[in-house]
Amino acid sequence: MDLVDRYLKTVAKALPEAQREDIIRELSEDIRSEMEDKQSEQGRALTEAEQQALLKQRGNPLLLAAHYHQDDRRVAFGRQLIGPVLFPFYIKVLSFNLGLTFVVIGTIFLALSLSGQRVGFNDIFSTCLLQLFIQLGVVTLIFSLIERHLTKHPDRWNLSGKCGSVQLDIGTGKNVSLPIERSHQISRFESVSIMIASAVALVWMTEVRSYQFLILGPAAAFLKLAPIWYQVYFPIVLLTVMEIVRAVINLVRPDWTLFRAVYGVFVHCGGLAIVYALIRANSWVTATDSAAGGASGYAHAAQTVNQWTYYGLLVTAIFSAVMLIVRVTRLIRQPRRGAASPRVAEQANGN
Amino acid sequence: MTTYTVYHTVCGIHCMTPGTNDHDMFENLRLELRRGSLVLAVLTALRKEHYGYTLRKTLGEQGMAIDEGTLYPLLRRLESQGLLLSEWREEEKRNKRFYRLSAGGKVILKQLLAEWQSINSSLNGML
Repeated sequence: MDLVDRYLKTVAKALPEAQREDIIRELSEDIRSEMEDKQSEQGRALTEAEQQALLKQRGNPLLLAAHYHQDDRRVAFGRQLIGPVLFPFYIKVLSFNLGLTFVVIGTIFLALSLSGQRVGFNDIFSTCLLQLFIQLGVVTLIFSLIERHLTKHPDRWNLSGKCGSVQLDIGTGKNVSLPIERSHQISRFESVSIMIASAVALVWMTEVRSYQFLILGPAAAFLKLAPIWYQVYFPIVLLTVMEIVRAVINLVRPDWTLFRAVYGVFVHCGGLAIVYALIRANSWVTATDSAAGGASGYAHAAQTVNQWTYYGLLVTAIFSAVMLIVRVTRLIRQPRRGAASPRVAEQANGN
Repeated sequence: MTTYTVYHTVCGIHCMTPGTNDHDMFENLRLELRRGSLVLAVLTALRKEHYGYTLRKTLGEQGMAIDEGTLYPLLRRLESQGLLLSEWREEEKRNKRFYRLSAGGKVILKQLLAEWQSINSSLNGML
């Protein structure tokens, strides 16, 4: 993938979906026309550094894409916390997190209800409200830090085009696939995000050990986490710390892409081993001591939650194994594909 | 929960901190002044058909430099308002999007130019 494609791909992921293809076609044409002009002036093909300088002049892809958004929504308490550039991402992440949280809460309450436990509206409402405030606080904090970084350093960006695969019809009128590909540089934005997200996850994991209602909700009154979670706790913490260490290293050395790829495979294997250990455990929640003598309904509740957890872990294991195969395959193919990457100048000269 | 609800739940009033020195203030006012003139400049330039890049070059050569992040969204807005027409066409073996003024755009441009002349003569009278 050439520099222009990587730049366009980064712009594309922040554009309104309905107009994405059209805008990218037009921007692509504009960039290639400018490059052709420069080539005619100089009488030779542009070097990669010159191409990069041209793209740098166009500014941060996220800021460029923001111009195409017609709404000017932002989050502000006195001063601006999250501006129009990041606002769509903020809403996406927040909606995803809240959606996932509410699905988990809904599943727990459904399991409780199916097992014959009495579930009150107040229980559901207070749990949802608590999660809403936690997610809102954490996600807003993370995005406001990113916004601050973006505002202070608008020129600090690279041509990392790492995002989901997008089909774009660029310039030539035929479909050009922009597949997921490891870029030459790892975005510092990504490294900082991983550091913050992992740090938040660490704090959450520490607190869950003492306050199990953070994961079980009101069911924590009569259910508790099974011993297996205490056995895998330190391996999970270790993997999270390893991920932070990796992000710190890539923050300093964004060009160490191979390091990240190899390191990522090891961390992924560690994660799979933990999921395997969890599946083998067979029991993930048990009735609390105080509830044990109370009613057989609590044991039934634990059994229902365990059954659903089993299915969840099974799906996670399968998905994770497939992802590992994809990662390893990409790692093996990486050098060959990099060598075959065409030059922008050659493409601009007429494919 | 819809995006709209989330937005209204979390958003307060946006307060812009004013520029702290004269240079910032001048720059903000200058950009504001130019922003208003850009629409007029783009409509005027599009009396003749252009595609994005040549339009940008033409405006730049006339001293109205505009970056693509401002130009293309502006063209889209003007087209959605019915002032411009556009079509994708092949030229020099490449697909390009050509823009030109619509009939409605010509009428509006005429009115805007008259307004511009009026403002210009008023200002000249005051200076």
